[in-house]
Amino acid sequence: MPDCTPFEMISYTGSRVLQDNKIVFVGTGLPIIAAMHAQLTHAPGLGLIFEAGALSPILDIGMPLSVGDTRACRKACFMKGLCAVFELTQRGHADYAFIGGAQIDPYGNVNSTFEGDSYRKPGTRFPGSGGAGAMAANCEKTIIIMALEKRRFVEKLDFLTNVGFGDGSPDFREKAGVMGSGPYRVITHEALFGFDESTKRMLLLEVAPGKTPEQIQEKVCFKVLVSPGLKKMKEPTKEDLRLLREVCDPQGYFLQRKIK
Amino acid sequence: MKYKTSSKVRNVSRLKGEEIRKVAGQPFEWWGPSPKEARKITVNKQKALVDKRISLKDAVKKHIKDGINIGIGGFVNTRVPVAIVHEIIRQGAKDLTLSFQSNSICAELLAGAMILYPDHLNIKRVELAWWGYEVIGIAPLLRHLAANVMVQLDDYTNYGMSARFKAAAMGLEFIPVRDHGGSDMEQLNRGIMIKSPFSDKNTYLVPACYPDVGLIHVTAADIYGNCRIFGPLCTCPEIAMAATCNIVTAEQIISNESIRTYPNLTEIPYVAVDALIEQPFGAYPGVSYGHYWFDMEHIQMFRNASEEFRRSGNTVPLKKYYEEHIFSCKTFNDFLDKMPEPALRKIKKFDGGQPIIIG
Repeated sequence: MPDCTPFEMISYTGSRVLQDNKIVFVGTGLPIIAAMHAQLTHAPGLGLIFEAGALSPILDIGMPLSVGDTRACRKACFMKGLCAVFELTQRGHADYAFIGGAQIDPYGNVNSTFEGDSYRKPGTRFPGSGGAGAMAANCEKTIIIMALEKRRFVEKLDFLTNVGFGDGSPDFREKAGVMGSGPYRVITHEALFGFDESTKRMLLLEVAPGKTPEQIQEKVCFKVLVSPGLKKMKEPTKEDLRLLREVCDPQGYFLQRKIK
Repeated sequence: MKYKTSSKVRNVSRLKGEEIRKVAGQPFEWWGPSPKEARKITVNKQKALVDKRISLKDAVKKHIKDGINIGIGGFVNTRVPVAIVHEIIRQGAKDLTLSFQSNSICAELLAGAMILYPDHLNIKRVELAWWGYEVIGIAPLLRHLAANVMVQLDDYTNYGMSARFKAAAMGLEFIPVRDHGGSDMEQLNRGIMIKSPFSDKNTYLVPACYPDVGLIHVTAADIYGNCRIFGPLCTCPEIAMAATCNIVTAEQIISNESIRTYPNLTEIPYVAVDALIEQPFGAYPGVSYGHYWFDMEHIQMFRNASEEFRRSGNTVPLKKYYEEHIFSCKTFNDFLDKMPEPALRKIKKFDGGQPIIIG
């Protein structure tokens, strides 16, 4: 098995999670790479939504570096604006949301607003919800990418920006007035999580080769449930890595970054 | 009043009840003209097809006043109204409210002007969804303003802000949306959860957003201000129809005959446009589909100066940027003249020659 970087592992796992003939609403960076890889391999019928307004472009002039980038509009089937594409999600046309963030809690709620101190005087202010809040609310399934670190996998968020299963109560999302079924997968380079159906808590589905559930637990503040059918994460083949490195992100904008 | 109905979001995060009461306990207030005031301004306008072209200097002098709400068009780095923002910084304005979904360089340029020249330009509050540079990094000046409580922020999602402009474009007071519920934005922003009068289900309402002045950059327009946009529309048509006045820059002026040949292609009609400026590269260093891609090096250069200030408090590189690129330029073209020709050639090439209809 060839060596791969953490971001290559995340992108490859993201690609595996996406089914063919679905629509994925992607943010900048690894989600685009994951979706491009899926299109090049098992999911040629996968359509992409970019929030500035494009539906199902053909990314043949390079990886978009911004969701409003000209490259994200290339040969699209439909191009309007933010209202139109987010209304596609409200109406049920988007199967997957692909989001990131600064913190995640056991119920798949995500913080991308601030950390430390208070809303009015934040220790560290982040960019804000952006599209993620609407995507997590109304795409059918939410996929979250997060670096596996204790400071990110927390019991309680400093701020709940993007809705997951809330407090885990069965009617939380209905009471919230949102339409999608909620968090589906959490992808890190060492573990793939799903959610337990009854408790709505994060559930360890797969670990990277050589890792144990105990080692994963050490990097998470809350108690991780472990699936009885725990699997090993599949690793990218040489050909997968070639696609990721030479076709998806040849400049290494995202794949060559280092995890701090 | 805000909590007659709510989701179950209370106590999911560590957000404190005291803070929620402080922020959400404020009585509702429009952060720009009320729907009624906005309509009155529009009703009282002359509606003739007249040549709207004016210099950018005169447009800003005429329309940008202290205390107004400025709606910023584009999205992150896409078709952002940089030329107009430069002129606003040159002329100065106080107590501004900014409204946008996602922005990078325009919001940061205004923030930097406030930090360096607070008596000349300052921002009171911002209603927004996102403020950052995407691949290039976080927004250092937002982080500085927020940590030092220099502006009041009101957070929505990108759809929330877009729907708020859309509601104003429709002449409404509010619009129901399927997001914000179950997040802490529900607890803090100026929206409100109600029970649907039809199904009794929880439904989130966001207040319309009527800017006093919209800043919009478009692909092409005729002299009357009928605008064509190629590439993503972002929320530009909604912002333009929501604002009581719009300053529009266009990459190029096209004939009214062309507009009338393809009326379906008009995304913003002349009635919404008050001032029109032909300004090639008007979104530079942002991207304008069909004309140029974004200039990552230039954005990085400004961001590096901003980041140095945030980390060390050193204002020298940031000041140098403003002096060299804004204050020592009489017009936006003077700024463009300082840009190296190869950089502009490169971003033209990177656009990929996307087809646009301008004939």
